[in-house]
Amino acid sequence: MGDVLSDYHTGDAFDEMVDGEGSVRPSYQAVYSALSGSTSDDLRTIAESLANNYTQAGVTFDVGGVERPFPLDLVPRVIASPEWEIIESGVAQRVRALEAFLSDIYSDARVISDGVIPSKLITSSTHFHRAVWGIQPGNGVRIHVAGVDLIRNPSGEVRVLEDNVRVPSGVSYVMTNRNAMITVMPEAFANQRIRPVASYPTRLLTALRKAAPPGVDDPTVVVLTPGVFNSAYFEHTLLARTMGVELVEGRDLECRRGKVFMRTTAGLQRVDVIYRRVDDEFLDPVHFRSDSMLGVPGLVNAIRTGGVTLANAIGNGVADDKLVYTYVPDLIKYYLREEPIIANVDTWRLEDDEAREEVLDRLEDLVVKPVDGSGGKGIVIGPRATQSELDALRRQVSEDPRGWIAQPVVQLSTVPTLIEDGLKPRHVDLRPFTVNNGEDIWVLPGGLTRVALPEGELVVNSSQGGGSKDTWVLSPPPHRSVSHRGSTNHTDDADDRAPAPPPPRVPLTVAKIPMTVMPKFAETQQQEQDQQQQQDQRPATRRSPGC
Amino acid sequence: MLSRIAESMFWIGRYVERAEDTARLLQTHLRLIIEDTTAQVVDACRNLLALMSVDHVKDPDLTDLLRILGYDPSEPTSIYCCYASARDNARRAREVIPLDLWECVNATWHQLPTTPFGTTGAHVFLNWARERSAMFAGISRGIMVRDDGWQFMSMGRSLEQVDMTSRLVASASLTHGGTQWPAVLRGCGGHDAFLRTYGGLYTYREAAEFLIVDARFPRSIMHGLLAASDSLQKVALNNVVTARHAEPALRSLGQLRARLEYADLDELRANLNQEMSVVQDVVAQVSTAIATSYFAAQDPTAWTTEGTR
Repeated sequence: MGDVLSDYHTGDAFDEMVDGEGSVRPSYQAVYSALSGSTSDDLRTIAESLANNYTQAGVTFDVGGVERPFPLDLVPRVIASPEWEIIESGVAQRVRALEAFLSDIYSDARVISDGVIPSKLITSSTHFHRAVWGIQPGNGVRIHVAGVDLIRNPSGEVRVLEDNVRVPSGVSYVMTNRNAMITVMPEAFANQRIRPVASYPTRLLTALRKAAPPGVDDPTVVVLTPGVFNSAYFEHTLLARTMGVELVEGRDLECRRGKVFMRTTAGLQRVDVIYRRVDDEFLDPVHFRSDSMLGVPGLVNAIRTGGVTLANAIGNGVADDKLVYTYVPDLIKYYLREEPIIANVDTWRLEDDEAREEVLDRLEDLVVKPVDGSGGKGIVIGPRATQSELDALRRQVSEDPRGWIAQPVVQLSTVPTLIEDGLKPRHVDLRPFTVNNGEDIWVLPGGLTRVALPEGELVVNSSQGGGSKDTWVLSPPPHRSVSHRGSTNHTDDADDRAPAPPPPRVPLTVAKIPMTVMPKFAETQQQEQDQQQQQDQRPATRRSPGC
Repeated sequence: MLSRIAESMFWIGRYVERAEDTARLLQTHLRLIIEDTTAQVVDACRNLLALMSVDHVKDPDLTDLLRILGYDPSEPTSIYCCYASARDNARRAREVIPLDLWECVNATWHQLPTTPFGTTGAHVFLNWARERSAMFAGISRGIMVRDDGWQFMSMGRSLEQVDMTSRLVASASLTHGGTQWPAVLRGCGGHDAFLRTYGGLYTYREAAEFLIVDARFPRSIMHGLLAASDSLQKVALNNVVTARHAEPALRSLGQLRARLEYADLDELRANLNQEMSVVQDVVAQVSTAIATSYFAAQDPTAWTTEGTR
C-alpha cells in the first residue's frame, strides 16, 4: 500500500501538514488517516467528484466574462484550536482599530492632529471620499464585513499581509467548500470536531438589520450586485439566497426624497439596508463616476439624510490602502491602547527617500505592490521579474512613490495539494472574515484558504489562476469549557464553538402505525394471477379455487 | 417580487417550454418527411422553418432543419439557444430559484451538444430535450412555493405552450395526405388520449377540436389560455394595489378564448392557418401587455446635479 506522502518533499517554506522531520503534525492526523490508504487513482476520483459537484451546482467565478468552476483542492487546511484563538483575537483587534480610524478620519481626524500619521497619507489616498465626510452611520459601523489576509512565514509565525474593508469577497466559497468536502471526506469529519461555518449568513443578516436607519423596526435588506458578469456574481446570489433577501442591481433601485426604493411587480418598495458589492466609484453617478451604469443616482444623499444604510460604508478604502497598512500597528496602539496581536509583514514606504533608495537598489530581491491594487494585479515579484519589467517598475516607482510599497519575498507556508497524480507542496494564504454587528466583531471560524497551483507561485489570487482549500478550525477538547476561554471570546453565543454536552438519553417512543396499502390488493392479486395463468396453461397439478 | 426577477422567471418558463415544443415539432415532422414519399424535402423543410419564422436559408434540407431548430447556438430558434437562454435567466434569478431546479437547468446547459448530428442522432437529442423539460416541470411543480415567481413562470410556460401548439396545429395543413393529424396528435403526446376521448371513429374535425378547444387536454390551446389567465389573476390577487395592471392581458386572453370557443369548427378548420396566426398575435400582445404592466421600469426619474436642486 503506497503512502500518499511518500513522495512529498517540503521546501524552504513552513509546511502546514508535515514538520521539519517529515512527520505529520498532530492537527493533521485525521486528514492523514483519511487519505493515507489512497492510491493516486483514488485521489483523482475524489478530485473529479469535487469538480463535477461544482460544475453541476454552478459554483463559478468569472474571468474576463468566461465562467469557470472554482478549483477546490481535496486536502484541507487545518488550524488547531489554540492557534485559531490567537488569529481570531488578532483579526478582531485589527478591525476594531480600523473602525476607530475610519470614524476618526471622517470626522475630527484626531489621529492627524495627534501626529500619529501625516495628513498627506489621507489626502493623497484615492479612496478617501470627501463626499461622505461627517456622515455618522446609524449604529456606528462602517466595516460590516472585513477580510484580513494572513500568511505564515518560514519560521511559522502568522503575519497580516493586507486588510480588505471595502467589498471583501470569497466567503461563499468557504460555505460551498465545506458542503462539498463533507460529501467526499466524511471519515475525516467523523473523527474530529470541526467548527461549522454555516452560520455566516445569519450573522451577516443580523448585523445588517442592526445597522438599519433609526426608527425602522423591520428593515428590508437587499444585496446590491453589479450584475451577472461580475467575477463574484455567484457569491452575491449565494448570500442573497442564504439570507433570504432580494438581490438587486442598480437599475432595480431608485432614490426619491432621500429614500431608496426597489421596483417590484407590486410597485415601489422601500429599502432600508443595502449590502453592496459595487465599488465606491460606481455607486452614485451624482458624486462619483458620472458614466456609471451600476449605481443609483442620489444614493449618497439618501445615506446622508439617514434614509438608507450602506454596508460597507463608502470611503472605507482609505483604511485598506497598502500604505495605511504600514501604520496599522500604530493605529492599534493609538486607538485601542493594545499591542498588535498579529504583526505586519515588514514593509518599506517608498515615499520615504532613504527607503526608496534602498528598495530601488535591490528591486530584484523584493516584492513591490501598488497601494490601491487588489486581486493580485500589478504586483511585481523581484526574483522572478525580467530586466525590462524591473526597469519599468523602477520608472513607475520614481514617478509615483505614494503609489507603491515594497516587501521582502515571503515564502508563504505550504499545504499538500493534488497536482496531476500526486501531492505536492503549494503556497497558501488565509482570509478570515469578520462580521461587525455594532456590539461585537465575530470572526468566521476558518476563512478562505487560497492556494497557488503553479509550482513555486506566491500570488494566490483566484483571478490569477489560484484554487482554494476547505479550512478546518478544530474545536477545543471537550473538557475546556467556554468560560475559561478568556478575553478572546467575542461572540455572544456559543452555538458553533465548543461542542454542547450530550443530550440526556431519552428512550425513543413512537406510535407504530402501519403503512396504508390498497385494500384487498395483496390477497386478491395471487388469486387473479393464478386464474389468468390457468387460462393459458391449464396446469393439471394446480389447485384451482372454485373447481 | 423585483420586476427584473419576474421578467426572468417569465422567460425561463417560456424558453423551457419552447425547447420542449420545438423538439416535439421536429420529431413530428422528421417522421412525416421520411414517411411521406411524395413530398419534396426542401418544400417541407422550408414550410416548417417559415412556421417558426425562419426565412433566411435558401433551399433548406434536413441538415439545415436540424441545425436551425436543434443544435446551432447562433440560431435564436434552436433548442440549444432556448436552453442557453433559460439558463442565463435562471442565473439572473438564481436567488429565487430552488437549488434543485437551478441544478436541473444548469446541468441541461452543460449537456447541450457541441457537435452537429444527423437524423439518426436527432431522436436521441430530441428525446433528451423533452426529458429535460419534463424534469424541469416536475421539479418546479414539486418544490416551488406558489408565489409570484411561480405564477410568472407558469404564465410564461402557458403562453408559450399556446403559441407553440398553434404552430404545431398550423403545421398540420403543411403536408398533404392523410397522415398529418395523427402525427400532430402524437407530437403532442395526445394521440391515445384523443382516441379514448372521441372513440376510434374520428374525423380531422374532432382532432382540431381536441387540440384547440378541449380544455381537458393540457397541451390544447384552450388549456394554455385558461392557465395563463389563472396565473395572471393570482398575481393580481396577491398584489391588490396593482391589481388593475393585469386587466389588459386578461382582456386579450378572454377575447381569444371566446373567439375560439364559439367558433364554427368547420370554418376554423378551413381557415386554420389564419386562425392560428391570430392566436400567435394575441400571445405576442399579451406578452407585451404583461411586460408593460409588470416588468418595465416605472417612469424613469430624471435627476439633476447638486447645484441645480
